[in-house]
Amino acid sequence: MRMNGRNVFVIGTGLTKFGEFYDRDSTSLATEALNAAINDAKIDRSSIKSAYFGSMTSNSSPHSVFSSKCLRECNMSIPYTRVEAGNASGAAAFHQAYISLASGIYDCVAVIGSEKLSDFVKNGTIEKILGSTIDYQWEYEIGATLTSLYALITKAHMREFHTTMEQLASVPVKNHKNGKENPHAQFRREIPLDRFLSAKRISDPIGRFDLATHCDGSSALILVSEEYLERNSEIKNKIPILSSEHSTDVLALHHRESLTQIKSTVTAAKKAFAKVGIEPTDIAVAEVHDAFPISEILAIEDLGFFEKGEGGNATEAGLTQLNNKISINPSGGLKARGDPFGATGIAQIVEIVEQLRGRADKRQVSEIEYGLTHNIMGTGVLAYVNIFGQEEMKQ
Amino acid sequence: MEPPKIWREKRQKYLALGISCKKCGKRSFPLSEYCPYCGTNDVEEYRLAETGKILYFTNVSMTSDEMAFNAPYCLGIIELNDGIKVTGQIIDCDYKDLRKGMEVKMVFRILARDGHEGLIKYGFKFTSM
Ligand SMILES: [Zn+2]
Repeated sequence: MRMNGRNVFVIGTGLTKFGEFYDRDSTSLATEALNAAINDAKIDRSSIKSAYFGSMTSNSSPHSVFSSKCLRECNMSIPYTRVEAGNASGAAAFHQAYISLASGIYDCVAVIGSEKLSDFVKNGTIEKILGSTIDYQWEYEIGATLTSLYALITKAHMREFHTTMEQLASVPVKNHKNGKENPHAQFRREIPLDRFLSAKRISDPIGRFDLATHCDGSSALILVSEEYLERNSEIKNKIPILSSEHSTDVLALHHRESLTQIKSTVTAAKKAFAKVGIEPTDIAVAEVHDAFPISEILAIEDLGFFEKGEGGNATEAGLTQLNNKISINPSGGLKARGDPFGATGIAQIVEIVEQLRGRADKRQVSEIEYGLTHNIMGTGVLAYVNIFGQEEMKQ
Repeated sequence: MEPPKIWREKRQKYLALGISCKKCGKRSFPLSEYCPYCGTNDVEEYRLAETGKILYFTNVSMTSDEMAFNAPYCLGIIELNDGIKVTGQIIDCDYKDLRKGMEVKMVFRILARDGHEGLIKYGFKFTSM
């Protein structure tokens, strides 16, 4: 076996619509996504030997062990693992599934991301849940929320690089424009710049409309090894996973040297690009973690698409719009698609795979060689970066 | 709120404790059994400096239920005069009057309360000097 393990491919994708579904539970959403992915892969479900579920809150009482219920409804009796990495649980589950195939343990596995957040209607509940993605004892219990920590990060970036409110607001404006063309997105309408600028501030300078919404949704993928494809030559539409890397930073912002760089993103991206042997400029399309406007600006800088400090300028100048210098978040991102934590990281991969297959309709990016996904937990304690290529490429 | 957790953490939360390492000499926060710089457990409790200056700050209007009685409030990252950095609320002030570099001192206050009759969680906050 080679140092990097076996080659791994995505052969099926499935996605529910994202939004608020008061009449449906986690099991129903996950089952819809998994069945869609199996149908898309055009394989017999008995080929799938293991499943990885990414979910942040599925151990809370109304959603306990939805993984088991989902597999039962899909008529599958296979071992499963639930992976939790806060709001990066989806990417974390994908990474574990990738390892299980690259290592030779399995030949065909399913990855399912699912979250049901519209049940938490009481004020402050989501803030408390997100408190477990930051330092719960010394940030959250002291009074910090995830939003307020991103407010500190935003102000630091504004101070250091003269990033403006208009530049920040141009991130969600662009993502809502993209989301309009995504049938799975929660919000399919454009929102003008001044709506973001004039909204009430919930944690200065972050306004009421700047956050990605915490909603319901599920996403799924079928992954196989190269050996599986050799045995099943009828399988088409296989997209290679060229690298899947993750990295870490200290949990609390007060322990970091700088607030304007997410170190975990930088190191995960470096490892991912080195493994494929390409540069950030080779990426045509990327789905990045835009939970807040500053999150996308940091991501496009830390992934190496733009110089540090240039992210705001580049976004305002339109360089990250569809089919410009690099297409960032053609799906609408977390902002317009909605953010059901565990489902997000896998929905990002679904979008990139669909882009590489040329099936993204009005959101289609032309001439893609490589696509990238980026999902982080909290303020970047964990970052996951994956690179995908065209069908004929090998790792 | 979890009574055993509040009881377990009350000493370090009430006294604002970190550690001082007897092997490498470095101080760190929060209180821990092992030094995060060299890994030894030859450490002693260290009481954080009570004054410092504001490095970053914002205000918080949306927060969890048990802290909502206090909202909106100001929050920042404070660099204490011993070089240790902590996150803390900045109280008895207007958000618009806060500045980077402003000198603050540590005070003991209510952080969270579980309704009118439930438990109360205490800890440090900061006030301008
Ligand atoms: Zn030490």
